[in-house]
Amino acid sequence: MSAIVIPRTGAAEPAPRWFALPAFGNEAGKGLRLMWRRRFMVVVAATTFGLTYLGISLFVGGGHLVKDLMVLTVPALLAVVIANTAAVQGTGGIAEEINGGTLEQTRLSPASPQLQALGRMTALAIEGLAVAIVLGIVFVFGIGLDIDPHPAVLLPVLLTIGDALGYGLIMTALVVRVPSIGAITHVANMVIMAFGGVLIPVGLFPHGMQVFARFIPTALGVQSVNTILAGHGLAATWSDGTLPWLLAHAAVVVTAGLGLYVINIRHAQREGGLSPR
Amino acid sequence: MNTATAIALRNEIGKGLRFAWSERLQILIELPMFAVFVILLGPLLGQGQNLASGRVDWSLNSQTTSAMVVWFVPFTYFYMQVVKMFWRLLGEIQAGTIEQVHLSPLPPWLTAAAGRVAAAILETLFVAAATYGIVSTFVTIRLHWTAAALLPAAAIMIAAIGLSLIIAGATLVYKRIQIVNDLVLLMVMLFSASALPLIHVPGWWRAAGHAFPATDGVGSLYNTMLAHRSVTSAWGTGGLIPLLAVSTAYLLAGIGAFILGEHVAKNRGTLGRY
Repeated sequence: MSAIVIPRTGAAEPAPRWFALPAFGNEAGKGLRLMWRRRFMVVVAATTFGLTYLGISLFVGGGHLVKDLMVLTVPALLAVVIANTAAVQGTGGIAEEINGGTLEQTRLSPASPQLQALGRMTALAIEGLAVAIVLGIVFVFGIGLDIDPHPAVLLPVLLTIGDALGYGLIMTALVVRVPSIGAITHVANMVIMAFGGVLIPVGLFPHGMQVFARFIPTALGVQSVNTILAGHGLAATWSDGTLPWLLAHAAVVVTAGLGLYVINIRHAQREGGLSPR
Repeated sequence: MNTATAIALRNEIGKGLRFAWSERLQILIELPMFAVFVILLGPLLGQGQNLASGRVDWSLNSQTTSAMVVWFVPFTYFYMQVVKMFWRLLGEIQAGTIEQVHLSPLPPWLTAAAGRVAAAILETLFVAAATYGIVSTFVTIRLHWTAAALLPAAAIMIAAIGLSLIIAGATLVYKRIQIVNDLVLLMVMLFSASALPLIHVPGWWRAAGHAFPATDGVGSLYNTMLAHRSVTSAWGTGGLIPLLAVSTAYLLAGIGAFILGEHVAKNRGTLGRY
């Protein structure tokens, strides 16, 4: 009697290392193609952010634009744009995939959930940055804000982008667990706008509010950028504690976002929550 | 109204309320933000020059804060009606259950609106009461409570239903347009400020404000609850004629936009497909 050996089934083999880069590129590419498909919405988003900021500036200025104040608050607007884009498009995209049933299909890929999440967030970072750059140009040159760019701002800017994407990933991960939570993203974004320095520089808040604001994604980065743009240099923002806190904040938020996303995807996979419930 | 229609209507309202109950945690999280926004923005209005030189007085003025509450509560209703109706409809489109709406004896626009109206009213009452409570611990809110305020309140609700149907109609065709929600609500909020003596607004802003659904409602509430003016004054900001005309126009435009959006989506075969 002959016998054949049935291959053992068990946990999937991890994807080979060479696979990581194309898988990441595919996710990012997919995100960018989707962005191009809804490019009209990207223009609407940029208009919304611009008008929101103008409206806030007019309210605070009593019906006039106060340029000296806008110089301090416009970096916060640009940071909010990136955070908002990551959160709104991240949650909207994942809710769409869950409701449409395609999130299940993405888990057929040997790529890890964290790699897929990184690909998604990279596309959203590019979208947010594109809108932020356009708005920055419009406000600085259109309204004539006197901002003297300094190369040292690149470090806090990069950390702020990381912080904003980490926040977007946390919101996205929450939607994987509770798909109906999408609308709460709007409120979370309002919190960031109110306390992240768009209304007034964070340093003008009362002490308790300043402490609270330090936990808001983008607030520390904006404070750090403003210190450098005021001509005090990178050393000043390190010695006043803003930059070290920003480093720690960005690391914690990105790690929390990735961790929560992986946990919630695995939970949804176990409980059958990758498709509509 | 025949029995089938009444049952369908009751079911939709019941479904909306059950959805609202399932989102109670979300509403509790949202709640403090509305109060914080009023408390935070109040001392900053018109303080731009002082803020630019690093000075800020965080004291709250009773009159300004009372006006802000009158401004903000209608906006809360708009948020509850427009944003949440959009997310619910989008969920149904993506899941494909929107097609089942056509099995109901109700017209689809009524099914969509009825499922949200009662829930939005209850949610707004809860959020408004909590906002009032939180803000009044910081500053006295002086409002003249009168039944006449129910007229602008009803007009605001009708206008919000109309606006939510316009957005819903666009959602049926263009699907993921949450950013349009944000833009529209922002416009509603900014232009409705022209109905209140909070900031100096240019003439064009004041004139354009009348075309937005909340402006005359907010103006009428302000006239009734703060300025001690009659709710039946015919003209001016918050006047009875623009108030009723704008609300009715938004409701009719909303029904029309929903029917049009539905027609386009059905013809394209994309009603329940993303």
